Amino acid sequence: MAQRYDAIVIGGGHNGLVTAAYLARAGKKVVVLERRHVLGGAAVTEELYPGFKFTVCSYVCSLLRPQIIRDLDLPSHGFEVIPQESSFTPLPDGRYLFYHGSEEDTFQAVAKFSRRDAEAMPRFGRLMARMAKFIAPTLTMTPPDVGSLNPSELRKLLALNKQVKTLTEDELYTFARLMTMSAADYLDEWFETDVVKASLCSSGIIGTLLGPRSPGTAYVLMHHYMGEIDGAYRSWGYVRGGMGMVSEAIARAARQFGAETRVNAEVRRILVRNGRAIGVELASGEKLYAKVIASGADPKRTFLKLIEKSELPADFVRGIENFKIEGSSGKVNLALKEAPSFSCLPGNGVHLRGAISLGPSVDYIEKAYDDAKYGDYSHRPYVDMCVPSTLDPTLAPPGKHIMSCFIQYAPYSLRKGTWEERREEFGETVLDTIEEYIPSIRNIILHRQFLSPWDLEQMIGLTGGNIFHGELTPDQLLFLRPTPGWAQYRMPLKGLYLCGSGAHPGGGVMGAPGLNAAREILRDWALLRV
Amino acid sequence: MAESFDIVIVGGGHNGLVAATYLARGGRRVLVLEKRSTVGGPVTTEEFVPGFRGPTGASVCGRLRPELLEDLDLAKRGVQFIPAEPEVVAVGDSQVLRIFRNVPKTQAELARFSQKDADTYPRFVEFLSRFAAALDPILAMPPPDLASPSLGELTGLLGRALRFRRLGKHAMQQMLRLPPMAIRDFLNEWFETELLKASYAVDALTGTFEGPWSPGTAFGLVPQFLPDGHGARSAFVRGGLGSLSNALAHAARDAGATIRTDAEVVHIKSADGRVTGVELAGGETIGARAVASNADPKRTFLHLVDPEELSPEFLLHIRNFEMNGVVAKVNFALAGPPNLPAAGDGVPPHFRVCPSLEYIERAYDDAKYGQASGKPVLDVFVPTVVDPDLAPPGMHVMSTQVQYAPYALRRGGWDTEREKLADRVVTILADHIPGFERLVLDRQILTPLDLEARFGLTEGHIYHGEMTLDQSLFLRPVPGWSRYRTPIDGLYLCGSGAHPGGGITGAPGLNAAREILKDWPRRGR
Repeated sequence: MAQRYDAIVIGGGHNGLVTAAYLARAGKKVVVLERRHVLGGAAVTEELYPGFKFTVCSYVCSLLRPQIIRDLDLPSHGFEVIPQESSFTPLPDGRYLFYHGSEEDTFQAVAKFSRRDAEAMPRFGRLMARMAKFIAPTLTMTPPDVGSLNPSELRKLLALNKQVKTLTEDELYTFARLMTMSAADYLDEWFETDVVKASLCSSGIIGTLLGPRSPGTAYVLMHHYMGEIDGAYRSWGYVRGGMGMVSEAIARAARQFGAETRVNAEVRRILVRNGRAIGVELASGEKLYAKVIASGADPKRTFLKLIEKSELPADFVRGIENFKIEGSSGKVNLALKEAPSFSCLPGNGVHLRGAISLGPSVDYIEKAYDDAKYGDYSHRPYVDMCVPSTLDPTLAPPGKHIMSCFIQYAPYSLRKGTWEERREEFGETVLDTIEEYIPSIRNIILHRQFLSPWDLEQMIGLTGGNIFHGELTPDQLLFLRPTPGWAQYRMPLKGLYLCGSGAHPGGGVMGAPGLNAAREILRDWALLRV
Repeated sequence: MAESFDIVIVGGGHNGLVAATYLARGGRRVLVLEKRSTVGGPVTTEEFVPGFRGPTGASVCGRLRPELLEDLDLAKRGVQFIPAEPEVVAVGDSQVLRIFRNVPKTQAELARFSQKDADTYPRFVEFLSRFAAALDPILAMPPPDLASPSLGELTGLLGRALRFRRLGKHAMQQMLRLPPMAIRDFLNEWFETELLKASYAVDALTGTFEGPWSPGTAFGLVPQFLPDGHGARSAFVRGGLGSLSNALAHAARDAGATIRTDAEVVHIKSADGRVTGVELAGGETIGARAVASNADPKRTFLHLVDPEELSPEFLLHIRNFEMNGVVAKVNFALAGPPNLPAAGDGVPPHFRVCPSLEYIERAYDDAKYGQASGKPVLDVFVPTVVDPDLAPPGMHVMSTQVQYAPYALRRGGWDTEREKLADRVVTILADHIPGFERLVLDRQILTPLDLEARFGLTEGHIYHGEMTLDQSLFLRPVPGWSRYRTPIDGLYLCGSGAHPGGGITGAPGLNAAREILKDWPRRGR
């Protein structure tokens, strides 16, 4: 018996859940279909070992749109952010860069290396925050259809232009330079200390297959400051209960509005009739029908796996095939029997509670990238590490901890061997690197999980293991995402929408694509275009 | 002060000579001051070994603005362009690919490698040609004044945008996508033949401190497809590129400009934020109401101008202007023809050793960490194939452009590295040219340090500064100062450090002259 809905959301990732919540809030009958046994996609918490809640993929939150938090009243559904207020970068020679909290404290920490850099830091931060303030409103705008002579599109362009006009001439130039310069070159203009630059430019390469010297990476520097301007939700933070609580809170809100969520419900294909998406077929053979099909899966999975190529325009298919979605990252998740101890700063101190970077110099990170260019994982990887259990005791038994390590680089396509064959070797390389700073690490591991990009693909459904559903480079952003002409959430089949990170504004746990897609869907509904 | 002119041009490079001509034609009294004994800067021919004349700078002429060819009567002034045929031969480890100016001929060649690529090739050329043609007017005009664009400028910009739109929405979107892409990604969307991709990557990356994996490098390919007067993407000049510079000087003198060589400017004088003239080595001073500098931005602002006349912010921007040249040259005097058997009979006048995109990227990797490439990319020109008079009968000149040879080395210095680099070049060439080592009578090595000393190119950068997106258009050389004017009233930039940048186009000189003439009525006294 076929089930009929107003809307079907493919994939229970955080964006799909946001879309479902907004559609349900507007009175639509919505169902979310998730392949796995648990909702959340890459924003997921799993108790892989009794008592230990692993934040399996994504690990910090900052960019979740305040509008979503408010509209869906997420705090009432259990969403709580614990600020991650420090940054710790240990160096092989026993020194370290560690700043937390106040501007004064940051000044002192940086001044240990260079007074000039300490003085430059607040100026740099203020400029980045100004840039972030300019970008933030564009995240929840639907991109204009550039090239369209349609008056409503031209109006959108003018609105964007108006946003651009809020910048001073200097800020406009800064923005243009941030979009085109490498993080390393841009930081060279501000700072002289290598470790300061390294600690800042690591945010420029997270999730990308680019290095700190790659042009265009300076742009991502400002993303780090995006959270600082969202009012109550200031800096980067942990979510109590792990990142899965973001998805869970959104799911609860959606259900409260009447949406249905189903797990263990893998969508095998999208049903198409006369150029219209009319429903989906599950792996079980069950068919569900709806007026609107919103896919939270990445563009390659959606259009090259769930739909017959012949149903889509040839140009569109080519564009999706060209869409860059090579994963560059892996994860090492550890359950520890005690707090880790750094040889340069022993003990369970404040520095364990914030961001920890194993990437002592710009060259170190760049060399790690070089390995990936030629199809191998980094032999000396960059590790973005955190121990959220130091601030959130619900994640591990008393005295024990979970450690989340985000690793770059681990390219999806290996030249030699497969990820199945080399996953262990990769994980051991990461542990070797960690051991250089935490000599006792291997002795305190209770459980370990190594995730390669291939594993992320198999487990979560991320094509290429790319955490952002596609590279966040300018040729694939804004009106070009996922492909030129199809950047407004509507897809070439009537009734089909893209609501995940493959749409503007891209990846990161923002919820913005889901929000924007819902808005466009509801607009189409109101105009009877559905 | 001794004499006084309307405009003094510092440096007799090709852009300075073009500017001089148009300023003189505009009725101004112009003086060009050149440090060396000959004009042209690196656009020159020199006897680098007795009896052998060759390019100590540029080997071929790129995309000279077509309007200059006619306007300046260059043919009548002795300029004869000789296109290379084939245009370039891409040399790999075991194969070569010949790329011709004629598209069907190249298709036939490509078919040996990949029929799919052969079929795609004309569309590739057409797409880039249309893009370049739409872009052309933007290169011929100053960048927009972002602060307060005039109504005329806005209409002009809108016109340009519409011109792109008229190419079709799809084409326009593809063109908007291209600039931020890595040349590797862009080429991989079109072709599978590695040698073809590598050769186009070399085109996009010549003189640039980036590799094929670097975002933003795809854009470097577009100007290669600009329409130019001589109908070829690159052409030799009979007598070497010095003939071009001499013809430009001839045109300038004909227009009424004065050119002095062996006249090095050591100081651009100014008072109260306004230029007053220049001072030469030796103390001679010359007054002028305006000065146009053909020197690069760093040389101009950090060595020739009084620092007190410039704000700290401006100076910081200039210091941060990315230069660090990566090109070295090795010129060979050869006893006989350097045959490349893999390319068939005879000597190809232009070939390049670039087996793959990865080869180029690895060469770039070395430079990233401050070393000259262990296995450099070689762009090789044999001008004597088309212009035998450059060497004694039967003998040849071979000019090799080597990348990457970074100006700033981390370990050691160019004094010790120069011979090692040249030896690596010889080893590579010997792999492809039988008996090459025995052919070499003598060689001349020009590292970025040498290029700096010889031609005044700061940090040996052949384009007066990196031509990456962050230093293009309204960002070149410094944000807010991209329209040839400088913070000192009456001082202009007319060389490659200004829009649209380097390559032998003459466009900076032409645009600067127009702007100087535009400002002239307001120029007091």
